[in-house]
Amino acid sequence: MRIETKGRGHFARALAAGAVLALAAALGGAGGCGGAKPQAPWVDHEPPPPDPMVTPMAEIGVHGGRFRIGATTGPKTLNPVVANENSSNDVCGRLYTSLTDVDYTTGDDVALLAKSWEFSPDDRTVTFHLRHGARFSDGHLITSEDVKFSFDLYLDDTLATSVATMLSEPDPRTGRRVKFSYSAPDSYTFTVTSPRPDALMLPATGSVRILPKHVLGAAYAEGRFASAYGIDTPPESLVTSGPWRLKELVPNEKVELERNPYWFGVDANGSRLPYLDAIVFVVTKDQSGAALKFEAGEIDALDNVSPADYPAWERGQKKGGYRLYDLGPSYNTNFLWFNLNPAPPGPDGRSPGPAVGKVKYAWFSKADFRRAVSKAIDRDALIAGPLHGFGFRNWSTMTRGNAKWYDSTIAGVDHDPEGASRLLAGLGMKDRDGDGVLEDAQGNKVEFGIVTNADNEWRQQMVNLIRDDLSKVGIRASLVPLEFNTLLTRVRNDFQYDACLLGLGSAVPADPGMGQNVWKSSGSTHYWRLRSPKPATAEEARVDVLMDRLVHTRDFAARRAAWHEIMQIVNDQCWLVWLPVMDLRLPIRSRFGNVAPSPMPHRILWNSDRIFVRPGHRGS
Amino acid sequence: MRSYVLRRLLQVVPLLLGISALTFLLLQLAPGDFLTTVSENPQVSAAALEQMRRNFGLDQPWYVQYLLYLKNIFLHFDFGESFAYHRPVFVVLRSGLLNTLLLASAAMVVTWGLAIPLGVIAAVRQHTPVDRALSVGAFVWLSLPEVLTGLLLLMLAARTGWFPVGGMHSDDASSMGAAARALDVARHLVLPAVVVGLIPLASRMRQMRASLLDVLRLDYVTTARAKGLSEGRVVVGHALRNAMNPLITLFGFTLGSLVSGSFVAETIFSWPGLGSITLEALRSQDQYLVLGAVLMASFVLVLGNLVADLLLAVADPRIAHG
Repeated sequence: MRIETKGRGHFARALAAGAVLALAAALGGAGGCGGAKPQAPWVDHEPPPPDPMVTPMAEIGVHGGRFRIGATTGPKTLNPVVANENSSNDVCGRLYTSLTDVDYTTGDDVALLAKSWEFSPDDRTVTFHLRHGARFSDGHLITSEDVKFSFDLYLDDTLATSVATMLSEPDPRTGRRVKFSYSAPDSYTFTVTSPRPDALMLPATGSVRILPKHVLGAAYAEGRFASAYGIDTPPESLVTSGPWRLKELVPNEKVELERNPYWFGVDANGSRLPYLDAIVFVVTKDQSGAALKFEAGEIDALDNVSPADYPAWERGQKKGGYRLYDLGPSYNTNFLWFNLNPAPPGPDGRSPGPAVGKVKYAWFSKADFRRAVSKAIDRDALIAGPLHGFGFRNWSTMTRGNAKWYDSTIAGVDHDPEGASRLLAGLGMKDRDGDGVLEDAQGNKVEFGIVTNADNEWRQQMVNLIRDDLSKVGIRASLVPLEFNTLLTRVRNDFQYDACLLGLGSAVPADPGMGQNVWKSSGSTHYWRLRSPKPATAEEARVDVLMDRLVHTRDFAARRAAWHEIMQIVNDQCWLVWLPVMDLRLPIRSRFGNVAPSPMPHRILWNSDRIFVRPGHRGS
Repeated sequence: MRSYVLRRLLQVVPLLLGISALTFLLLQLAPGDFLTTVSENPQVSAAALEQMRRNFGLDQPWYVQYLLYLKNIFLHFDFGESFAYHRPVFVVLRSGLLNTLLLASAAMVVTWGLAIPLGVIAAVRQHTPVDRALSVGAFVWLSLPEVLTGLLLLMLAARTGWFPVGGMHSDDASSMGAAARALDVARHLVLPAVVVGLIPLASRMRQMRASLLDVLRLDYVTTARAKGLSEGRVVVGHALRNAMNPLITLFGFTLGSLVSGSFVAETIFSWPGLGSITLEALRSQDQYLVLGAVLMASFVLVLGNLVADLLLAVADPRIAHG
């Protein structure tokens, strides 16, 4: 889970894209068909894996074909340990396997390189049994030595990986992070031990991508590991463990992956996966350019289209030979919060008081004020306007599409302007001078600014509507668009803002335990009051306790109950004023089978080993 | 001549030093750094963040960072490593620079290939409907935003299939022979080159027209006409060469904008050039990558101006560089 940095395209460009699409629909052009040439039927040259992974899928497929997908930027590195942003992670996710994975449809842990695993009675140790005879893309056997090597890499402090945080546990007494211990008792057994039971043990160990010790061991020993596996590494020396290996990387243009001939995954007939000959990431920087490329048949799927264009996409389906998949509510959430942070400490090491000043702090720190703001916001208008009608009300980071964690009983503080006015009156806020703006009991006008990132037109539209809603209950709000890094500096370092509208992207897995840093009062992304030395209110203290329970028990019912209570508290307190989420829709050519896009990244390629071209569409 | 070139090249060193210092300072003034965005990931611990800061050298004061940067350049000719790519900056920039130069050169061929003949026609047919039509056409194109013409041409490509929709290579380019591959790149090059090349067309054409008109009024042209030479020989053989002088200077200056002139078109046409790499580096504050790109662009600019001066000396013997 992380702040969604990617704006959904510049407004002008979105407009242009819309215009082009509308024009395209009016002109009624030729539907796109891919230009791939028919190829010889695929023959498996390698002996079948002795210990195959029978991969579940909706339809048994056939081999051959290419799948070309638009990507806004090319990968920066193919080294999964140092990869730090989406474009690199998207590609690395296909190239390297791990012990276990999360099933994107059920949210459950599933086997990969580890064919089975068991937990010790105290839930602290997990023992993985590795598949025999699994091989890297160069034919080398994958053993527990490679798994151990990969854990060494991810837990190396000098490499500073984000996974290392997941593979460690703060000591309850000292607060210092203690790393998980691990060992390889034999070639096909691997054990990991956590200091305390950890509900996210499997997702954490599953985040470690398996790298070949025989190839990278020397680079690591010589301290050259971070620059190994870069964009200029020749494909033949880039040895991978996943279903795919690198065929060609043209910087800023495309990345082509081809089948790993040794991959251990098979279908129910025992036929080796993946079905496709190739996956191609085609870099298309501009959203409208990508739409046209899709229309011309040069790419087969887009993983980001604007809701404004959904109707045009919908109409073009038959002619274009594609389907606009409806993924339901996006996992990327949007919300507004008030700054309750103390100002950064002065020269004497003490904070001079609330960052927003005493007057505003007196308003913002009252739950009734935050509730009143939430009640003032007309969410139907937000859906109808900025989201073009394609949105849903949402009151949690686990949106309605997340069946495993969604709480159907959750009730947010929704639109009720009279209720908002009553709450504000209850706080002593009245329009004393008749100018339409409330004053508090001391006579201060109730006004504040809302910051959001300037490159996201959509968020600015939301703030504009919210500003109008607030003016109806007598609050004067203003929009403060900021460049993204400036915004982050204000939100994280100097706290020079009143309220902020931002969003959180989905973590993989979409488990609330991944959000510890957001919900715990000590968390580094607990935006409204960052890194509190101790919980500021009884409610914050309660969330800390519940979050601890959520993370340190493996009993799902208990975890779910804890999560639901956390969200009830968050909604009751209105620390976050929830805003609607987008209905996610993506166009993908209908000739592909086993396509099951998910709101979790990577939305389309998470099951790339199973996607195939339906017979009758070969070479088209 | 040689000493002139050498002197000009040596002047580049303090210039680039100044440019790098200014760029570095501006990058420092911008809020946040490369790790600001990384810090938003709740999975990145404070300790990991500190370690990254040390690894990248961002824990040092900015002047120490800059002096280290200069030291590595002068002692090892090492321009630093990109934070995002974990590779030396020129490894990252290399392919982009070549692609941008290719696009810019093609655009230049479009500009000058059209501007000179059209300018000549407009001058010879001064005040006729042909002259006016050319002016109007060129100015209409000039006033259309690059984004719009780019997208319209892309749409045309998508509709008709005459041209590929952006990019630089076809999907199956890697299986092509060298000749087919070159032809494939050329096909991808047409539309972006037209979009970039037609922007300065209007002004270049007007300059050609004005310059030729000036020359045509000179006495020696009247003499040539009086000798009974055909109008074609008068214009092409006698007037044109002298009329070209100011345009050669201009050509040199446009050489300098080679690297920066096509950034917008690169984005629309997904052309894998320097523009998008630089922009992305700037946004993520990948400081050595930005510095590398700026230095490279400045170097091309200086080189372009030098070539312009040399060209002028070749074209006009009255100008000599001693």
